[in-house]
Amino acid sequence: MNAVLRLAALSAWSRRLTLGLTLVAIVLATTLLLAVERIRVDARQSFSQSVSGVDLVVGARTGAVQLMLYAVFHSGAASNNIGWNSYQAIAGHPAVDWAVPLSLGDSHRGFAVLGTRADYFRHFRFGEHEALRFTAGEPFASVFEAVVGSEVAARLGYAVGQEITLSHGIGETGMGEHGDKPFRVVGILAATGTPVDRTVHVGLEAITALHLDWVGGMPMPGLNIPPQLVAKFDLQPKEITAALIGLKQRSDVFRMQRFINEFRGEPLLAVLPGVALDELWQAIGTVERTLLAISALVVVVGLAGLTATLLAGLNERRRELAILRALGAGPRDLFLMLTAEGLLVTTLGALLGLALTSLGSSLAAPWLLERFGVVLGARLPGAGELELLGLVIATGLIASLIPGWRAWRMSLADGLTPRI
Amino acid sequence: MRKTLLLIALLAIPPAARSAPAHVHGAGHLDVAIDKGQITIALELPLDAAVGFERAPKNDKEKAALVAADKALKDAAALFMPTPAANCTLQSVKLDMPQFAGGEHADIDASYVFRCAAAAELKGIETTIFKQFKRLYRLETQRSGPNGQGAARLTPKHPVVSW
Repeated sequence: MNAVLRLAALSAWSRRLTLGLTLVAIVLATTLLLAVERIRVDARQSFSQSVSGVDLVVGARTGAVQLMLYAVFHSGAASNNIGWNSYQAIAGHPAVDWAVPLSLGDSHRGFAVLGTRADYFRHFRFGEHEALRFTAGEPFASVFEAVVGSEVAARLGYAVGQEITLSHGIGETGMGEHGDKPFRVVGILAATGTPVDRTVHVGLEAITALHLDWVGGMPMPGLNIPPQLVAKFDLQPKEITAALIGLKQRSDVFRMQRFINEFRGEPLLAVLPGVALDELWQAIGTVERTLLAISALVVVVGLAGLTATLLAGLNERRRELAILRALGAGPRDLFLMLTAEGLLVTTLGALLGLALTSLGSSLAAPWLLERFGVVLGARLPGAGELELLGLVIATGLIASLIPGWRAWRMSLADGLTPRI
Repeated sequence: MRKTLLLIALLAIPPAARSAPAHVHGAGHLDVAIDKGQITIALELPLDAAVGFERAPKNDKEKAALVAADKALKDAAALFMPTPAANCTLQSVKLDMPQFAGGEHADIDASYVFRCAAAAELKGIETTIFKQFKRLYRLETQRSGPNGQGAARLTPKHPVVSW
């Protein structure tokens, strides 16, 4: 038995070029399959972990998914603003326990700036109802103070006390700097793995203050209100982007949703964040399944290549196998030898594919996070990935049985009889 | 011409928000809230799904259909079945049948409250509503409970909200 396997290994080594190419095909196919599965699972995970404990997200009337993406994930198309009066009417509703306004639109060196209240740090929850924690400092208390997420602090090297300026719009630089009104970093949040990490938080009043001397999206020439005078103005915002709502009783959520959706003052939309995310998954589920099916087909193509290579090899190895038979190897030994070879190549390919997926995902993780807000966890392969890996190897075994069976059926005389 | 068609097609796409409440024949809405052992269910059905017309009844047969729908919707214990182990009992039923005050469409609104003795055992709610109303093809469901929120589409083949 051992001798057979040793011979198989040596024989495979002598055919390393063809087998190597087949191996590459299987590695790439497995990597594709695993990568699709990993991104699918992790995207879902990072989205659904991003917000919890919020009963309703309220914004201008648009799609539920769009409102969620913009208000919570700061990605996708911007939604319209809602009036401050509407916000107050909703926040004052007897069923509402807490309401936190959100105002988006400015940025700081590529990171979103969120105008909100200090309550945000108290009420916001992510993952399994985890609260935000400060690694340094505290929530903002006055107008020109900012709290930065962990990634903002790490990437830009900020510590408490750092002075920063915000920019108008989303440009990296240059669309318009609010250079005359610098902010001081007063707090740094612990890492959450959610969009909070990539956000600069300032007071809602700060957003108004920044734009006091702006008219029509431009700084007004000749008018410059210095920061120390800002407090003399009414800093109450006229409009906000969205609001997060927590209710006293969960059973009120649908009644409240209806109240907001039928709000008289202006067209508003209230969405349950979890419902909106489920709707998003329902919408892209078909795409996911298609991608997974295509990757599975690529694996099948790779394994068909393996079978073809082994079968073609059988013709070349007719003499080799016949000599083995003549030396006393039974048909079963040859069957084993061929099947083992195929199975080994598949297993090796699948494992290398897994390694490549892990390597690739750790390399692509920062980019995916930045572009799509998807956190690719550096972790052991999940149950779904192991299942796929098992399926690849099982399919590889079946594919290797065919050449094995052919070798079994080859008669002793076959390779020894010279052909004309 | 093509642009006009495109415009019409765009306008025809229903907005995701339930503003002037969407009315799609064959599709109803179900909202399920679970809080401290209490299940609150709100059901909204196009009248068409329940009886096959959306106006005042014209003859005895149509009147009978309305009465039957009314009866079926009030029999909540047969309509919604929470996980038996949770030991839930029906607390209240509120049913608003349409008044036929004009307008193109008519909806039925109903709300139900169950109280569950063993709320921790509550894993889902099954409905027999598709057996009652053959013209109902799906229920767009929102739920909010201790395990978070979610959306589901209930159909005759899959008449269960679970979490």
